[in-house]
Amino acid sequence: MGSIKIQQLTKSFGDIEVLKGIDLDIKDGEFLILVGPSGCGKSTLMNSIAGLEDVSSGDILIDGNNVTDLSPKERDIAMVFQSYALYPTMTVSRNISFGLEMRKVPKAEIEKTVADVSQLLQIEHLLDRKPSALSGGQRQRVAMGRALARNPRVFLFDEPLSNLDAKLRVEMRTEIKKLHKRLGTTIVYVTHDQVEAMTLADRIAVMKDGQVQQLGTPYEIYNNPSNRFVADFMGSPPMNFIECVVLDDKLVIESQGEKFELHVPNGKSLQQAGVDTVILGIRPEMITEPKPHVAGALVHSIPMQVDVTEPMGPDTIAFGQWNGTEIQARLSPEAGVDAQEKGRIKVQVDTSKVVLFDAFSGARLDA
Amino acid sequence: MSASTTSHRLYKALFITLLLGFALVYLGPLYVMLTTSFKGIEEIRNGNILALPDTLDTSAWSKAWTSACTGGDCYGLAPYFWNSIRIVLPAVFISTVIGALNGYVLSQWRFKGSNFIFGALLFGCFIPFQVILLPMAMLLAWLGLANTVSGLVLVHVIYGVAFTTLFFRNYYVGIPSELVRAARLDGAGFFATFRHVFLPLSTPIIVVSIIWQFTQIWNDFLFGVVYSGPGTQPITVALNNLVNTTMGGKEYNVDMAAAVIAALPTLVVYLVAGKYFVRGLTAGAVKG
Repeated sequence: MGSIKIQQLTKSFGDIEVLKGIDLDIKDGEFLILVGPSGCGKSTLMNSIAGLEDVSSGDILIDGNNVTDLSPKERDIAMVFQSYALYPTMTVSRNISFGLEMRKVPKAEIEKTVADVSQLLQIEHLLDRKPSALSGGQRQRVAMGRALARNPRVFLFDEPLSNLDAKLRVEMRTEIKKLHKRLGTTIVYVTHDQVEAMTLADRIAVMKDGQVQQLGTPYEIYNNPSNRFVADFMGSPPMNFIECVVLDDKLVIESQGEKFELHVPNGKSLQQAGVDTVILGIRPEMITEPKPHVAGALVHSIPMQVDVTEPMGPDTIAFGQWNGTEIQARLSPEAGVDAQEKGRIKVQVDTSKVVLFDAFSGARLDA
Repeated sequence: MSASTTSHRLYKALFITLLLGFALVYLGPLYVMLTTSFKGIEEIRNGNILALPDTLDTSAWSKAWTSACTGGDCYGLAPYFWNSIRIVLPAVFISTVIGALNGYVLSQWRFKGSNFIFGALLFGCFIPFQVILLPMAMLLAWLGLANTVSGLVLVHVIYGVAFTTLFFRNYYVGIPSELVRAARLDGAGFFATFRHVFLPLSTPIIVVSIIWQFTQIWNDFLFGVVYSGPGTQPITVALNNLVNTTMGGKEYNVDMAAAVIAALPTLVVYLVAGKYFVRGLTAGAVKG
């Protein structure tokens, strides 16, 4: 068991308010990811859950019990740190067993746990080594082993993969997800990497300036962002934001001196609300080379002057300009080569999934 | 190319000559001390100060150790040597332990005002001995520790804690605070974390602290002469008395042997643990 309820949590360091009233409901067995740029308060929030940081006001409940004033030891939580924080003078085996030893678990039980955990993580052959004799990936495993051994109610992961190289990071990511599937223990996971957030999470809490901007499934966060910040933060390459004049129920796009009209869902309500300009949010994958089988009122064909292309392998990102804003289109590799050669191409713009934001506040207009 | 290597070699030769010169300046007196201590008094009076002894005469050594006069008593340096040991061992141990705990708190368990306390402790490194002579004498008298070994231990511990705290604090500040957090989540308290996580990491800095404190306290003269009684004088004070007590002619060979005996323990500590000393002093600066 391990549900967490966070109510109106605030934290200040002197005059600086780092957490401004956080409310979060984390279900038992859920994989929740706290994501946001550095300084958004995600690590502070995690440390508050762990009990490593005192909170200024508000409550933290684990399984319905108020743990706000309990020490880390009494909360039954295990944490994997960014630097792994393995005890440098202890062997791997003792690193894993130290928490049990401190809790006065009987020796036989400790030995069994160490054996089980090391088998699960495939680190049996490393048990007698010191952390300094391990590679980054192995240290990562040992750090997870130390957390697993305690069999806590909640796991906290503080950017656990950020010190690994790109390939290993992807491997460990999958492994963590499998582990979660297998154990079913609640995980709260902090990262600034939106790809990690998308791939791992049951639900994502996007944070900025000490507030949760949006809490939702990866699908909701990606396709239905609650404001411009969330839309911008999640997705790589990022969403295009184009300031457009509203003409009746359509948006105006200007490319190379020519004007084009875009039909958008909810265009009628824009017209009724009397908005003159909006920020059009459209993901790069909705601006593509023409695809003959896709058609409809929301599919448009607009020319684009291609300044630069960036081949990514599976697709190519093309950079151009509409309405004086740089935009990115996601082309097939072949269309990418074509665009590179011609410099000017026609792209297909599918507005079925666009989101519209207020030009000043960045709030969603069409939600 | 060849011109630059020639000048490079020239510099190197100059450099080495200079170093050898300095070494000679330091080692010269030691040479004279050692050779003189093995000479008979006649040979010293008639011979060259730099000449090697004709025969190895160890009588000056045994006299210095067992029967030379220090003031009124003529028991040699031996009793005072043991006095010094009785002062140094507890003082070094206690000041190192307190310094380690202080450093641990000031680096890893910071609290409101901990920086101020650290600053105040550092200030202790810069207070000259002479300034506190009188108030400390009053304190020792008030505690009933005047003229006792315990009193001297107390004085040296108080003076040493400023330095040992500085050593340990600067060493522990380089240890990531995430270790403490991990230990707290693992259920280890303040002392368990210190014992299981920090202490095993501390060998180099413990050695630094021991060498430093041992040298300081063993070589101390001022506190030794002021706060000791007739039976509790440390070896430095006895050496002074021995050299200044003349019965008949001056026995340079006994004086020299006594000086070497007094200096020997610090030398031994250096030779045994010296390699850790430099390593420990730089450990905080260059993190491996």
